[in-house]
Amino acid sequence: MSAYRNSAYEEDPDYPDYSESLNHTQGYLKTSGPLNNSDDPSTRSNPYPAESRTSPDYLESLAEPDYPGSRSNPDYPGTRSHPYSSGTDYPKPLAEPEYIGSQRNPYQPGSSGEPDYSQFQQNPDFPGSKDRGNYTGSRINPDYLDSLGEPDYPGAQENLNSSGPTSNHPGYRRNPEQASPRVKAYIDSLGEPDYPGAESQSNHPHFFGEPDYPGAEDYRNSTDFWGEPDYPGAENGRDYGSSEDPEMARQMLSRTSSIQPSFHHEGVSPLGILGREDVDYPESIEMKSVGMANPYPGAPGNGYVNPAYVGDDGLGPAYGDPPLSGHDWLSSPQGQKLIESLIPMTSRDRIKAIRNQPRTMEEKRNLRKMVDREKSKQSRRILELNCCAQCLNSISLAYRRFKNNLSELLDSISLWQKTLKVIGGKFGTSVLSYFNFLRWLLKFNIFSFIVTFSFIIIPQLTVTQENHLQFTGLEFLTGAGYFTNTVMYYGFYTNSTIRHGNSGASYNMQLAYIFTIGGCLVVCFFSLLFSMARYFRNNFINPHIYSRGIAKLIFCWDFTVTHESAVKLKQKNLSTEVRENLSEIRQENVKLTFNQRFIRFSAHVAAWVVSSGVAIACCAAVYYLAENNLQFLANHSNPGAVLLLPFVVSCINLVVPRFYSMFRLVERYEMPRHEVYTLLIRNIFLKISIIGILCYYWLNIVALNSEECWETLIGQEIYRLLLMDFLFSLADSLLGEFLRRIIGMRLIKSLGLQEFDIARNVLELIYAQTLVWIGTFFCPLLPFIQMITLFIMFYVKNISLMMNFQPPSKAWRASQMMTFFIFLLFFPSFTGVLCTLAITIWRLKPSADCGPFRGLHFFIESIYSWIDTLNKRPSYLWVVWIYQNLIGSVHFFFILTLIVLIITYLYWQITEGRKIMIRLLHEQIINEGKDKMFLIDKLIKLQGMEKKANPTLFTLERRDLEPWGPLHVRQHDAARDLRFRRSFQEDNPKA
Amino acid sequence: MGNKQAVFTHEQLEAYQDCTFFTRKEIMRLFYRYQDLAPQLVPLDYTSCPDVKVPYELIGSMPELKDNPFRQRIAQVFSEDGDGHMTLDNFLDMFSVMSEMAPRDLKAYYAFKIYDFNNDDYICAWDLEQTVTKLTRGELSAEEVSLICEKVLDEADGDHDGRLSLEDFQNMILRAPDFLSTFHIRI
Repeated sequence: MSAYRNSAYEEDPDYPDYSESLNHTQGYLKTSGPLNNSDDPSTRSNPYPAESRTSPDYLESLAEPDYPGSRSNPDYPGTRSHPYSSGTDYPKPLAEPEYIGSQRNPYQPGSSGEPDYSQFQQNPDFPGSKDRGNYTGSRINPDYLDSLGEPDYPGAQENLNSSGPTSNHPGYRRNPEQASPRVKAYIDSLGEPDYPGAESQSNHPHFFGEPDYPGAEDYRNSTDFWGEPDYPGAENGRDYGSSEDPEMARQMLSRTSSIQPSFHHEGVSPLGILGREDVDYPESIEMKSVGMANPYPGAPGNGYVNPAYVGDDGLGPAYGDPPLSGHDWLSSPQGQKLIESLIPMTSRDRIKAIRNQPRTMEEKRNLRKMVDREKSKQSRRILELNCCAQCLNSISLAYRRFKNNLSELLDSISLWQKTLKVIGGKFGTSVLSYFNFLRWLLKFNIFSFIVTFSFIIIPQLTVTQENHLQFTGLEFLTGAGYFTNTVMYYGFYTNSTIRHGNSGASYNMQLAYIFTIGGCLVVCFFSLLFSMARYFRNNFINPHIYSRGIAKLIFCWDFTVTHESAVKLKQKNLSTEVRENLSEIRQENVKLTFNQRFIRFSAHVAAWVVSSGVAIACCAAVYYLAENNLQFLANHSNPGAVLLLPFVVSCINLVVPRFYSMFRLVERYEMPRHEVYTLLIRNIFLKISIIGILCYYWLNIVALNSEECWETLIGQEIYRLLLMDFLFSLADSLLGEFLRRIIGMRLIKSLGLQEFDIARNVLELIYAQTLVWIGTFFCPLLPFIQMITLFIMFYVKNISLMMNFQPPSKAWRASQMMTFFIFLLFFPSFTGVLCTLAITIWRLKPSADCGPFRGLHFFIESIYSWIDTLNKRPSYLWVVWIYQNLIGSVHFFFILTLIVLIITYLYWQITEGRKIMIRLLHEQIINEGKDKMFLIDKLIKLQGMEKKANPTLFTLERRDLEPWGPLHVRQHDAARDLRFRRSFQEDNPKA
Repeated sequence: MGNKQAVFTHEQLEAYQDCTFFTRKEIMRLFYRYQDLAPQLVPLDYTSCPDVKVPYELIGSMPELKDNPFRQRIAQVFSEDGDGHMTLDNFLDMFSVMSEMAPRDLKAYYAFKIYDFNNDDYICAWDLEQTVTKLTRGELSAEEVSLICEKVLDEADGDHDGRLSLEDFQNMILRAPDFLSTFHIRI
């Protein structure tokens, strides 16, 4: 966690600096030797006065009594920071012998650039620290120059001379930046002119308002980062630990806070500086990118950049840019923490952490480089002797590459990417979720097919006998006849052990059959369970908090919608919905009369009674039809007669849901979501009870009464149901929906285009999938058939959607519905299938002369006898042991259940506790907000007083700002502030 | 494959892979999309890290963005200097955040930036008004808009300071599970 935030912090300040400023600085360095010297004498003197005059900050700082304090403080950083921020410091650093080297330089560098050089020169002694120093110096320079404005030019020119083009850029930019923060400050929160401190304010409004200076702390943190780049140079050179920085900053802050009146000024110095620096970095970056790219497309900018990079890379241990950046980071405790936390991570986690940083690519790339380098350094140091580790490293790298390639491969397989994009673009996420669900089911079936095909069907094909039945073509509909004697049905499979040649390798078909189907179901079970859990985690994080959700309407604009007319329609729908919502809010207080409520309630009751009555009637009809079906079939020799039952069932499935959705004319729900859920519940009740009745019929009537191969009969029946269902929805899509469009467009124009009924369509998919799961045992090829139907359905639905439908008018809670669908698929559907199959396997007698289990009393006996044979072989005793003590043992399951119950209970308690915690924290947030407002009020008053007392400062700043006040700079500034803030937030919870 | 080698070095590609949610192929596809926007501007050789920016006018004309009411904000937020002109890095960053794989926090962070029109780290009433007008094409009356803003602030403002901070926003997004799937641009 710390890593996360750290990175955030670090990245912002460091990266930009590194990339660009570093380059600049390097430029300086190169030139520095001779140039500096020449520049020094003349420039120094000039810059100082210029600065002091021009920049209001300096004046202020000079005037301020705080400085002494800061000086007196033993912490160099603190004092330094002051100096940096305020031009006034110059005298101080000079006075102080220690500082002179480092501090002065930075400051002066800003002013004249000479000090920097000196620093640089000093730096050579400390490779790591030097770099920083240089950077800081260079950065400062531009800043100062900028801040000083034109008057400084002498200094600036020097810089220019020494550094060349680069220095100029930063300087220029800087000015706007500086201007911007201040401007912002004014505009934004406090609006106070005096605020040199205002800069800090602008950046982080909290800061002032908060009593404890939590905000300030943020600043601090940030400041540390920001500040560090400056300090590090000096400090490192000076032997100061990096960790001091934060402390110093804190001290500073606390000081500043304690001294209220001076506070602003002081704040200015550390914070202001920081702010500026921040500003500078990004800007400098921009500069580079902008300036270099545009004005000097190739030459100077690139030249600078490249050398820096190259040089660094070449240096290796000395580390050019990345190391520098790294150093800065490292020097900052957060940076160190981040990197430390990243290093021990597995490469996967590390990449994930880096990816999740809300930073620009440049920053992320540098972070990555840094961490990699650190890691390799570390491993070199620690594991040098251990070549095993190196081996592991290279293996993990190779594995990563392999995985990347694999995911690429899978990606290229991923179906319908383009089609889905078009659908999403035209109809939004909600309709897209139907197609995603379809695709997901398709993957399921492909998996099942591959498993059954390779473990059951291929072995069977090797020993297959000739099929004597005639093929007429009607078999495609009935599934009977010719197909009966193919690998399609259970009855065709052999019960023998397949053995080819004399090699001795044998394949027991009985076991293969039961284990393959069982394995398939187990895999389905777990993948359903996991995807359900994932959806729940993502979509029901906070289900108990429900508000009316205008906010959600506003902020959940569907970015996937890209089609022009769709966007317009969506905007129109959104405004009507918002309007509806508003009118609801307005009418919220209007209570319904008793009469109205009674009418509404009785409408619900009536609708439920009618719907369940219809469902029960349908079930009864199906039951009686099924019961008489056998007789009916016996009387009719026409092979097409078997189609009666599936036809009736499909008719019910087609008509009744539409009848249900007509209830909406009578029933009125307050929330559209409730309507959808009710409809879903009624439909699923209907469909599942029909399937339940059919299962009862198969298991209790077909299985017990028929002498033939009853498993094959059931398989055929399921095949027919599935096929009929497919044909019906095909016809519905091609004809029904098309007719509906004609009616809506030509005849009754008030109807308009219809909307895609996601719920009904998804339920159709769930129904078909349930049948497939039940049928896999009786007809192992069923997943393959379902695969084909799904594939066709996708295109048919897609075409029909494009032609006949309009985007949904209501915001649809697609993701929650998706969770609900998967839950439905799991709960009544899949668990029902498991029950049915369990009954079949444990209770039913396999038919006597067909299928792999012929001759056994129960299907499960094949397992028993297998265990018995294993029992005779000593090398397989462990399997027997596992079976007897785990799978076959009641005690084991008893204990397991107990443990699971206990764990569940514990987790439940933990959840309850967390809920309470969340509530408390929420209250705390509210209270803090009140505190904040109170303090801000107070602060504004104070500022008002100060403004009256000290109006000159304001005017000075103003003048400074105006020439440099381009808007976008301000924006940019704000953007980075945001980042800054964000990083703090990330920091906070973890802290 | 040969092309791939020509455009990026192996290290570059790997770095891109590690810093975005894309596979190598997707990165290449995005690069070609980017290159197509301004074929005369963007070189086909990125091994030397050329500093090229594609202007906003071209970015905003991509079919993925051209009808998006927030396209300008998106481009501004992801461009380095806030003016909507994008380097390849910015471009990849943008689509990485908008991709399916990006986690909720990352998405929420950038969504917040997009909705924060005046870049002051808070979504204030003015920002909300901008958002609502963009969303509804100005079909609502001023009174309705201000009522909506009031309601939104009412709903989501955790600390009652009259504006939405990033935390408020994230907290609200948590309650809107659709956000993950809707804050998503397919490429």
